[in-house]
Amino acid sequence: MTSAWKKEEASSAVILVGNPNVGKSVVFGALTGRYVNVSNYPGTTVEVTRGETRDRGTVYEVIDTPGVYSLLPMSEDERVTRDILMREPGARVLQVCDARNMRRSLMITIQLAEMGVPLLLAVNMADEARNEGVMPRLELLEERLGVEAVPTVAVRKQGTDRLLPLLGRAKPASAAVHYGNRIEAAISRMEELLPREAPLGKRALALMLLCGDESLTSWLAENVPAQRIRDMNAVRNRLTEAVGEDISYRVNQARLAWIDRLLGTMGREDAPPRGLDFAQRFGRLSMDPVYGIPILAAVLFLAYEFVGVFGAGFLVDLLQGKVFDGWIVPAVAWVVDRAFPWPFARDFLVGPYGMVSMALSYAIAIVLPIVGTFFFGFGVLEDSGYLPRLAVMVDRGFKRIGCNGKAVLPLILGLGCDTMATLTTRILETRKERIIITLLLALGVPCSAQLGVILGMLADVGPAASITWFLVLVGVIFLVGYLAAKVIPGDPSDFILEIPPIRWPQPGNLLVKTMARIEWYLREAVPLFIVGTLILFVSDRMGLLPWVQKAAEPLVVRLLDLPPKTAEAFLIGFLRRDYGAAGLFAMAKAGMLTNLQVLVSLVTITLFIPCLANLLVIYKEQGGKVTAYIVLFIFPFAVLVGAAVNFAARELGIHF
Amino acid sequence: MTLYGQDEILETLWTLREEGKSSRAELLCSTQEEAPEALLQELRSSGQVEIEGDEIRMTPAGEQRARGIIRRHRLAEVLLNNLFEVEWQHLESSACQFEHILSEAVTDSVCTFLGHPPACPHGQPIPRGECCDRIRMDVRPLVTRLSDASLGAPLRIVFITPKSVKRLEKLSSMGIVPGSTVRLMQRNPSHVLQIGQTTVAVDKDITDEIFVKQA
Repeated sequence: MTSAWKKEEASSAVILVGNPNVGKSVVFGALTGRYVNVSNYPGTTVEVTRGETRDRGTVYEVIDTPGVYSLLPMSEDERVTRDILMREPGARVLQVCDARNMRRSLMITIQLAEMGVPLLLAVNMADEARNEGVMPRLELLEERLGVEAVPTVAVRKQGTDRLLPLLGRAKPASAAVHYGNRIEAAISRMEELLPREAPLGKRALALMLLCGDESLTSWLAENVPAQRIRDMNAVRNRLTEAVGEDISYRVNQARLAWIDRLLGTMGREDAPPRGLDFAQRFGRLSMDPVYGIPILAAVLFLAYEFVGVFGAGFLVDLLQGKVFDGWIVPAVAWVVDRAFPWPFARDFLVGPYGMVSMALSYAIAIVLPIVGTFFFGFGVLEDSGYLPRLAVMVDRGFKRIGCNGKAVLPLILGLGCDTMATLTTRILETRKERIIITLLLALGVPCSAQLGVILGMLADVGPAASITWFLVLVGVIFLVGYLAAKVIPGDPSDFILEIPPIRWPQPGNLLVKTMARIEWYLREAVPLFIVGTLILFVSDRMGLLPWVQKAAEPLVVRLLDLPPKTAEAFLIGFLRRDYGAAGLFAMAKAGMLTNLQVLVSLVTITLFIPCLANLLVIYKEQGGKVTAYIVLFIFPFAVLVGAAVNFAARELGIHF
Repeated sequence: MTLYGQDEILETLWTLREEGKSSRAELLCSTQEEAPEALLQELRSSGQVEIEGDEIRMTPAGEQRARGIIRRHRLAEVLLNNLFEVEWQHLESSACQFEHILSEAVTDSVCTFLGHPPACPHGQPIPRGECCDRIRMDVRPLVTRLSDASLGAPLRIVFITPKSVKRLEKLSSMGIVPGSTVRLMQRNPSHVLQIGQTTVAVDKDITDEIFVKQA
């Protein structure tokens, strides 16, 4: 019975393709009901996400891809998208267009038409385009392209229900750009040289090869004999000589000219354009050389008030002081004393290294409120479109560390989670930039969990120590970045960054996003917190802790002037830096650290080696050699900077 | 070719003056022309120089002409040195050809293209031309760098001279190609461009390579 039912159910892949920041991930969510991270800046999606949906007996595998400006890949994330198109022959393509920017969207449409894939257009953000009076008339567009186009407002699920039925009967676009006789002749010759079975339309592949797409090398090596590759090069070289200009540039110009003609005849829906509204005005001001700086300061201040004061202060006091210490821990102790009256069980759950009193209390009472408020505040920043404007503000400074303003995006994301941020370095175009930012993330950018704990501790030691901590970190980031830029070979890339409009965050998306991140934090961090606590518990039972403290004494006590017990925090800091910081937090609360010791230990733990998950991602992205160098550099460097701060403060007689 | 010879004499007079020299003896010693005395007489009778004893001075008319020659010569040096990376020892002789042939309009285009450089590769000042004026009464349909264009005005891209093909491809895939209309919204801290409904932030070295005309 099941097999008969299965027979009726055809399966098909749907690939979402489009420019950056047009809402592919929102459409993905609307189609599959699965949440993927959605923000208002280009480059949120760096990896491919797959989800399933069905429509009248057909199961569709929907594939969300990173945004592209062109299908001739120029960065790692653009290559991911092109490769998906090559690896999924027979897939249907749903191109998500920005109704406000049809000119750029159609650049992709033309390339998809050349690939010969069954195509449907979702003309998204139709509401904004109508407000601005730039909504194109879609009937003529459909006629000229030979594919259907659906106006959508994906964030409100308007029009998205029409997409799947139309995808069922999607067909390749009939539109074709004529590139002039010389290029057309070369395309025909190139098409003849391609193998009979090509994963994409031959016209598209021929054009990619003529444009000098180096990322096709591995496909060529597998599928085309060497003699033919020589012939292909000859075709390309002859064309370059005949054209006397870069071919890809010529091709893009021809495409844009074709699009401009089409848009010229297409016309727009009648709507009165409106003046600048508050959001647009704010968007302008936030990049202004004068007003931009107070706006940045205000954003930082609000973030600190919300995460540092409200989250790390009020919520942590409430959860840790009242709920955990006042209620849960005594309650568990009461139950344990009656149900399992052995000291071992009591110690295991509510002792100094207990599962409830340490692991859960750190994870839920200290870190969670901070992480939660951070994720919420960060979501507001992401969805408003402020972050790319920040990149504009800091571009000049980042030039000094061998990168450009774009690199601020992964660094800021690192304040949420260094692991995720390390993946986001893919939006940077050169390997040099990716390595520098990966190193700086691993070294000096505290993740939200760690940052929250740190803010909580700094709140108790006064502004002078807080500012010193901040300056030491920024100084270290710039110093290391500056030196890394000198040492690591390669060039910085051009700063060309699209600035999305300022938008009001959608409360729904904000909530879903914050919850998704909190859930991810709980899943990722709590098990490690438990493992860390187990290690401490076992070491304590076996009498190893005094030995660890003794072994670490030359570093911890002599060099950093910290109490021997701090060694425990650093030990579990190897598992997760935030867990190590939480250990310091508990010690500071118990009055075991002087203000200077708080500062020194915080500087050291902030710079300390990144958590396991982050190391794994660094290994995956950059390979073993880079990972090894990063670890070998960071560990001694962190201790060294901590010692330097300690020594300098003592020499100068500053004890905060 | 007496015009050519006159140019050379005037050029020498200008450079000698920069060194604080103006005597006939120094001119004769510096010039490579075969009949400098005859050329000097020509210049005097056409009212371009005044000779008083050993001292030679340019008249305003001569000065005007010399200024143009020096300007073309030094702009050519910048062009050859910066853009085509012509070797130092060939610089002088090639630049010498340019100074006699460039028309004023072409000179201004070259000057704009180079970003109105203040000095030649040897560090000598380049006389300013009309295209270098920042304060103008009339708005002329002149090609300027996008980085120098007035803020907010709609501009048509005339040509792009990118440092790398990759940059050109990237710009063109964002719709920044010759013929497109673009507006420069701000210069600091980065240059922000508006193309249709798209806002793009770029570095100054990129807007330096985009040449525009008032749309």
